[in-house]
Amino acid sequence: MGLITDIRDSISSLFSAQDPKRIGIYGPPNAGKTTLANRIARDWTGDAIGPESHIPHETRRARRKENVEIERNGKSVTIDVVDTPGVTTKVDYTEFLEHDMEKDDAVRRSREATEGVAEAMHWLREDVDGVLYVLDSTEDPFTQVNTMLVGIIESQDLPVLILANKTDLEGSNVRRIENAFPQHETLPLSALEGDNMDEVYDKIAEYFG
Amino acid sequence: MPHQCTSCGQVFDDGSKEMLSGCPDCGGNKFQFHASTEDVPEGPEPSAEPPDQPAPDSSVARTVGDAAATVRDLVGGSGRSQSADALDDDPSGQDTAPAGSVPSESAPAPDSPEDAAQADARSEVVSPDEIPAGTDTPPTDETPMTEDSATDPTSGSAPTDSPADASDPDTGEPSEDRPDLSELREELNDQFESIKVLSPGQYELNLMELYDREEYIIALQEDGRYTIQVPENWHD
Repeated sequence: MGLITDIRDSISSLFSAQDPKRIGIYGPPNAGKTTLANRIARDWTGDAIGPESHIPHETRRARRKENVEIERNGKSVTIDVVDTPGVTTKVDYTEFLEHDMEKDDAVRRSREATEGVAEAMHWLREDVDGVLYVLDSTEDPFTQVNTMLVGIIESQDLPVLILANKTDLEGSNVRRIENAFPQHETLPLSALEGDNMDEVYDKIAEYFG
Repeated sequence: MPHQCTSCGQVFDDGSKEMLSGCPDCGGNKFQFHASTEDVPEGPEPSAEPPDQPAPDSSVARTVGDAAATVRDLVGGSGRSQSADALDDDPSGQDTAPAGSVPSESAPAPDSPEDAAQADARSEVVSPDEIPAGTDTPPTDETPMTEDSATDPTSGSAPTDSPADASDPDTGEPSEDRPDLSELREELNDQFESIKVLSPGQYELNLMELYDREEYIIALQEDGRYTIQVPENWHD
């Protein structure tokens, strides 16, 4: 039995060495997904993944950073980080007009954002092995989008970590997110300030290693 | 402790009236219901509804997903042959990695020939009576899941057509106020499309449908048409 266990362990470590888990960063628009993706990528590879913005739907195509090697407790975990466009059920160009955008640009951004949601949902269907679900902890987590996405993730049996982001902001309420998804582990963090990232990396290694 | 404020954690007894105008402590207006050992009657306060939503939401989503799958199966025959032709014309071999695909690759797709059923679906709106229920054996030439046209007058007015009762959140009590089957069909019909183009730059998205589709929408046209990438295994 010991031999079989050894062989199985070595095979699984072989596979994990060759095939990094592809971890999708999901969540509603403006939750801080790209800020988190950049934080992870910069911490472990020195590069960024994409531009961050306070205007919703800055990320309109999924972006991937491959072979991000995270070292925890003497072991290393290699993952591919996929930063996805924010998922929503409505996209309206008038929302962008408030950000000093011309109508043509706003309409184009709206169309690209819609395509981005379609892409994010498609990735969720077949291209991710685990999910970091990022929420703005100053916002109400009880939304149809969050319920539906977490439900889909659960139906896929994907490992998921709920990240309560923006704890540096006044009005951050981590407990509300814990209450919304009691079946999953919720970690508070500020991706912008780098607060609590050590625990986030510990959990990433534990969940996706 | 039946009701708990999701913001501050304050607990209210079942039937408590002080939470009717929001949590007296923090002003929060969302409460979650903790089932106790005794059978608690449905609370009268509307503010307690949101935490109960996940179950109805997911069941509705499942229903929509099932129905969408049914429709996809139905239209699979005509859709697949056309898609297979499109793939034959394009030897580049699109795989399932969306990152590698760019809209320009598939840009000509909307102009490709389409069969009668697709043309019909593109130009006409299917009446609710023609839409099959989940388990019915419906006609096979309807494609209600195809895209909506931005110029279609019914797309903008569809939400207002539905009676107020249909959109009422009392779908959370399916056992009591079970919606009429035709209403349910209408509601599902409204949700069938992956992306509803209300006007250029204004879209409504059906996440379950987007998730459920095998083909992948990679580009939207101004006129409301899609460019899609079809899966490799549609060859078979």
